[in-house]
Amino acid sequence: MTAPAPALRRFGDNLRAAPRRLRDSLFRSGRPVSDRTRASFVFGNVFLHLHPARVHRWSLRPTFTLGLGVMTLSTFLVALVTGILLMVYYKPSTALAYDSIKDLHFVVPTGRFIRNIHRWAANLMVVGVLLHMARAFYTGAYRAPRELNWVVGMLLLAITLGLSFTGYLLPWDQLAYWAVTIGANIAQSPREVTDALGITAWLDAGGLQKELLLGSDTVGEEALIRFYLLHVMVLPLALCTLLAVHFWRVRKDGGLVRPADAEARLGPAPQGTWPVFTEAPQKTYSLAALVKGKTAAVGRGPEGTVPAMPHLLLAESAALMLSVLLCVLLSVLADAPLKELANPAVPENPAKAPWYFLGLQELVAHSAFMGGIGIPTVVLVGLGLIPFLDRESEGTGLWFGGPGGGRLVALSAVYGLLAVVGIEAFAIHYGWIREWWPKAPQLLITLVNPGTVLTAAYAAWSVWLVRRHDSTRAGALGLFTCFAVGFLVLTVIGVHFRGPNWDFYWWPSQWPGH
Amino acid sequence: MRFYKHLLLWSSLGTLLVLGWAAVAENFLAEWRRVQRAARSRLPPAEAEGFGVELRQVVLPELAVADRCVSCHLGMAPGERGLPGDKALAPHPPVVHDPAAFGCTTCHGGQGRATTAADAHGQVEHWPEPMLPRRYFYAACGTCHTHLAVPSAALLARGRDAFERHDCLSCHRLDGRGGTLRPGGQGGLEGPDLSRAGARGWRADWHAHHLRERDEAPAGPWRSAFAGVPEEERAALDVYLASRVGAPGLTEAKALFHSLGCRGCHAVGGVGGADGPDLTRVGQRDPGQRAWGGVRGERTLASWFQEHFRAPARVTPGSLMPELGLSEPQIDQLTLYLLSLRRSSLSNSFHPRDRVRAEKLGEREFATDGATLYGTFCAACHGQGGEGMRYPGMAPFPAIGNPDFLAIASDDFIAETVRSGRPGRRMPAWGEAEGGLRPAEIATLVRYLRSLGPAYQPDPRPARWARGDAARGERLYASACAGCHGARGQGGEGPMLANPVLLRSASDRYLAETIRAGRRGTAMLGFERPTPARRALAPSEIEDVVTFLRSFEPKDREKRP
Repeated sequence: MTAPAPALRRFGDNLRAAPRRLRDSLFRSGRPVSDRTRASFVFGNVFLHLHPARVHRWSLRPTFTLGLGVMTLSTFLVALVTGILLMVYYKPSTALAYDSIKDLHFVVPTGRFIRNIHRWAANLMVVGVLLHMARAFYTGAYRAPRELNWVVGMLLLAITLGLSFTGYLLPWDQLAYWAVTIGANIAQSPREVTDALGITAWLDAGGLQKELLLGSDTVGEEALIRFYLLHVMVLPLALCTLLAVHFWRVRKDGGLVRPADAEARLGPAPQGTWPVFTEAPQKTYSLAALVKGKTAAVGRGPEGTVPAMPHLLLAESAALMLSVLLCVLLSVLADAPLKELANPAVPENPAKAPWYFLGLQELVAHSAFMGGIGIPTVVLVGLGLIPFLDRESEGTGLWFGGPGGGRLVALSAVYGLLAVVGIEAFAIHYGWIREWWPKAPQLLITLVNPGTVLTAAYAAWSVWLVRRHDSTRAGALGLFTCFAVGFLVLTVIGVHFRGPNWDFYWWPSQWPGH
Repeated sequence: MRFYKHLLLWSSLGTLLVLGWAAVAENFLAEWRRVQRAARSRLPPAEAEGFGVELRQVVLPELAVADRCVSCHLGMAPGERGLPGDKALAPHPPVVHDPAAFGCTTCHGGQGRATTAADAHGQVEHWPEPMLPRRYFYAACGTCHTHLAVPSAALLARGRDAFERHDCLSCHRLDGRGGTLRPGGQGGLEGPDLSRAGARGWRADWHAHHLRERDEAPAGPWRSAFAGVPEEERAALDVYLASRVGAPGLTEAKALFHSLGCRGCHAVGGVGGADGPDLTRVGQRDPGQRAWGGVRGERTLASWFQEHFRAPARVTPGSLMPELGLSEPQIDQLTLYLLSLRRSSLSNSFHPRDRVRAEKLGEREFATDGATLYGTFCAACHGQGGEGMRYPGMAPFPAIGNPDFLAIASDDFIAETVRSGRPGRRMPAWGEAEGGLRPAEIATLVRYLRSLGPAYQPDPRPARWARGDAARGERLYASACAGCHGARGQGGEGPMLANPVLLRSASDRYLAETIRAGRRGTAMLGFERPTPARRALAPSEIEDVVTFLRSFEPKDREKRP
């Protein structure tokens, strides 16, 4: 027996070594057992490299972030995966769309379940992004140096709503058709002002907006294909791009917001925390760790921080799985709605927009322009300006941090609740200008309606807070709380208390014709 | 760290559990899978082997049909032999239309794409077309068929009676009855089955043929069972046979609809009055869009119709439709007919001949003899025999079969009244442009009306001869006529006299004679004799009143309609 040729021996050795080499190429810096190898594990992985090497214990407390950001991202990922699965069977055409959803529901294996998950993930994503925004606001996370990320977050909110709204039309049932018709009419609402000024013939901004959205003057084939394109391509791509910016900025802005005295507030790491620090501080900082800001870890030692691997990854995985569990659990419990085939000749009464627009629809019922364009614009501009107006530092990184604190927020919530319930109850019970004075000019109603009165009441409260506490943050806290409560109450009114012809009913069972 | 570890562990386990459950529910617990597994166990072992638990469906793209009904009704799946008598495996009863070529939902309604019983049968929220109830099943034919020239119920009954009386059922089978007396062969049926004679046609010389066969037969059934049929009964039999198109019950229901004068207010397929809703597709309405406030019982279209027939205004507040006092069997028949008004928009290649002839060639769905036309359009208001009608809350409808009326109303007057109606009153215009009646049909109607009473007595005078004193006529009118006919002839308890069509088409003799002799059996008493409440009118005074009535006519000829 002759010895094998050297080339064949080398081949055999390489074959035996292949699994080890595969592992080495996956974990290039060796197994993550020390601080250093953990850090390079994170840096060396394309999916993880946006993470910091070490993360502050403040950011890891469940009660601080409530995991809302990661959960919102998780629901997006769930919706992304289930959405791709749905695209296998969905046909974006008015003649086929409804039947393809019925087929998904009845014969595609687990199709109904996947559609339910998609629907619930989308709704949870809207809830998540709103709550995440509230968290960022109440902990002062928008303050310098995180102004830009706050604005990026607002864009992400807008894209999330757009994704959800465009997806609403795709089943092509009555619910979809009339909700989108309402949505398109909200887009058309500037016409109320141009009509009142008598310039619609020259400048029809509302009509243009609606036509851009629908590709026609009614919801039809053109609108469906537009919404489909936006839903499956344009908006997800935009969302992913902005998400990357959002996460990257979190790193560049020095991690999550925390108070200057976070270490003192936390105290020493509890006994048994593993690993806090497993190597002498001989590490060389990679470029990504050189971050701007007062809280940069450079030169301050790793006190109060723990390695991102495994602490942060574990927390994120937990939030991810919690979101997935929520999605699948809700999907088993409640089916996504599917009403009759869309029929332009039979309007739904009441026709309701998706739930997150029902607060707006309630305002639109009073004045199309103010509810659809005016007040939302004021709110969005106000939200966008907050980081540039509030240049204070008191309470940064603390829930309800700032002059007045939790007490001010609670008071504002009560005030906001009383104001919105009072004004709505008044309008529902006594009517508004048009009922008392049928010939009132439209411009007057556009300017003075329950929506604008409510906005003015909230603004007055906020101004009073600014003066009383001598602080912009106090006013902002009050105003944000008021609008959050107002949004909630108006949404509940729109969802539950409005029946046919947008009349008020205590229960849907009291609707006429049932 | 500990918190996140636990959270991760338990949410992952929970997710796995839910996904596992979903997989089990999807693959083992689906309703149709259970049905198929149970059915397989009942099959003979040889057949059970090749019987797969799999989704079965009838797919017909040209009808937009994907019917998965056969996933549970396994014996009805195309190519399946089935197991007669079995709950799931029973084959479809033999019918004219092969389910494999027409699908299930085309006739039965329901939701073909669904795979659970409740969804498929369509008795769920948000499905506009639930299955037709079994007892109204023949309403399904209306999806495509229009059933031409259906006579009135009385004509149909006459034919049916003749059929029974002459013992045709002893040899012929009809709608599942008869044909059992002469076991000529194994089936026990000697004469042809006549259930679809109206669709297939029958020999025109059937009577002569029967006589010949009888005369040539030495003995046996031909000799003993056939005795000849008188001429007019033969005509009735022909009418009856023409209505046998394989949809018993539906033809009778449609005949009833065309006997009660429903089309006087309701249009079907563009022919009929406009006072009530168009009924062309009423059987397709979404039960979810109905108002259920006044309806007792289950929320199906059928029970809505039934309740509506019993008390229209209770079901539809503000409805003008009177309570017709229908019997329960009549309500049942009319419900069947309304459910049959479906007319789905299928592609042209699926339109049966009768529908093409009705929709493209303008043939009538109702017979166009005088009695049927009268029953179809007039009977609801003017009564089955022209005796007039009085519904609560409405002005009385004139008795057009009244002999006093027929004696003085010329054919032209009646025809013009049918054609142009009484503008401003309940009588609509029935001319081809408005109500959809053709001139020949109006002439048939006039002839039929004529047959109800005495002959018309011609009047040698010109149409307008009254030359009385209009001022005196006005005073007389105010005291004697205005109480019932209104101060300005606008009508009230009595008809509207200031009606342009009436004044245009009625001769002076018609007006004067009506005033003089009155109408027997109505509130209009003749003025030639006094009553305790008023004096009589002299002929000259009647002439004055007629002259005054003419002043109601639009002065400007241009303004006349």
